Amino acid sequence: MNTILTVSHLTKYYEQRLIINDLSFSIGKGDRVTFFAPSGSGKTTLIAILNGFDADYQGQYSLSAKSLVTIFQEPRLFAHMTVKENILFPLQVKGKRLTTDFQQRLDHWMEVCEISDKLEQYPYQLSGGSKQKVALVRGLLDFPDFVMMDEPFKSIDIVSKTAIIRHIVEVYPEMTILLVTHNLEEIPLLSKSLMVFKRKISSDFAFYPDISNSHLSSFIPQVIEDLL
Amino acid sequence: MKHITPFFISIRNSVLSLVLFIMLWALLSLFFPVYIVPSPFAVLGKTPHFLRQGIFSHLTITIFRVLIGFFCAFLIGTITGVLSILINKSLYLNAFMALIQVIPGTILGIIFLLVFGVGNCVPIALVVVLVLPLIAINTSNSLANRNEKMEQYLVSIGGRRRDLYHHVFLPLLIPAFQSNLTIGFGISLKVVILGEFIGSQSGIGYLLNVSKIYFRMDEVFFHLSVIIAIMICFQITQSFLFSVLGKKYFYPN
Repeated sequence: MNTILTVSHLTKYYEQRLIINDLSFSIGKGDRVTFFAPSGSGKTTLIAILNGFDADYQGQYSLSAKSLVTIFQEPRLFAHMTVKENILFPLQVKGKRLTTDFQQRLDHWMEVCEISDKLEQYPYQLSGGSKQKVALVRGLLDFPDFVMMDEPFKSIDIVSKTAIIRHIVEVYPEMTILLVTHNLEEIPLLSKSLMVFKRKISSDFAFYPDISNSHLSSFIPQVIEDLL
Repeated sequence: MKHITPFFISIRNSVLSLVLFIMLWALLSLFFPVYIVPSPFAVLGKTPHFLRQGIFSHLTITIFRVLIGFFCAFLIGTITGVLSILINKSLYLNAFMALIQVIPGTILGIIFLLVFGVGNCVPIALVVVLVLPLIAINTSNSLANRNEKMEQYLVSIGGRRRDLYHHVFLPLLIPAFQSNLTIGFGISLKVVILGEFIGSQSGIGYLLNVSKIYFRMDEVFFHLSVIIAIMICFQITQSFLFSVLGKKYFYPN
């Protein structure tokens, strides 16, 4: 399997405090990997480094995705744009036109997320969950090769979350995903493999290579054991 | 219609402020003799007489000076504020502008009078020097508080510099423009009146000075009312423009 992301010996200090310790891993094309770690363990810092926002680290990483999208913990919507404008903004930046294909995909996403009636609304008129749905649609509309998701379902209820994840798995089976979360229920819905970090993001993690057809109850006791 | 609502709220607030001002004035006139605070009704009664004294030419001159001075201060102040952020020198700008701000207007007025002589230049130069720091500091501070996460998002989707200016800087600048216009125009008006008071033989400030010299307090209060009317007209106009053209930039995150 071709690798899309390789991280080797990544170490990050923030004001002399160790945040990421000698992390090495790789993600293959089409893989859907979850990083499961407690809050404050450095997950968001890792996403920032992989996005190139933070250059102050040791070690190295290589990314070979043609199109990379990050769905951040906060929706990061533009307050002066409507929902539709926000969703189509990445296409506009890339100089792409809103084709019939895009429009159909957008309509489908709106139905899945149950926000069809909110296209002309502004972010301040939406709930936290709806904002996160908009951020997800905005990130996924253009079929990226590789998506990094930093707790993207945080404010979304379990029913909508399940529908959205099913839609992702069905419509984007080839897409490579790195999901960062501390929410156990999302893991079996989306992931093929799982990395469990005890406290910090480090080389010391438990790896579950195939959880794609597992039920939550089949690996959760072991995950909790890993965390303790 | 919905986006015009703030405009009507602004008109209502302006009218209420005017009514409050007139009530206060009327109240004060009850406690002071007429040669100190004449009643608003007495001043209103003499308005046709004051209007016949050629106030419109003076009013035009004052408005012209305010607009020219304020436009220069607004333009230079905004450019300076934006540049200070782009070259990462906003702290230096704030320190320097705060220094300029404390120079008393009367002293500057006299210096400008000696440099430029009596005429348009004194009030206009006063506005530029006294209003520019406020606009530059306000603009710079607004941009300094920009959301870095939105910048990161733009970088992550391959946004260019123009996207950053358009979608991160501009939404911060529009509300800053409005506060700069409201505060800056009010100060500009005050400063022009001061400039005309010190070094001019035309404008509302000059008329105020003449009225004051002869203790014609009804005329003084009439001219003050004219100044307040200018401010109210300006407030209503800018409120209309922002509610029609820039309302979306005022939405909360």
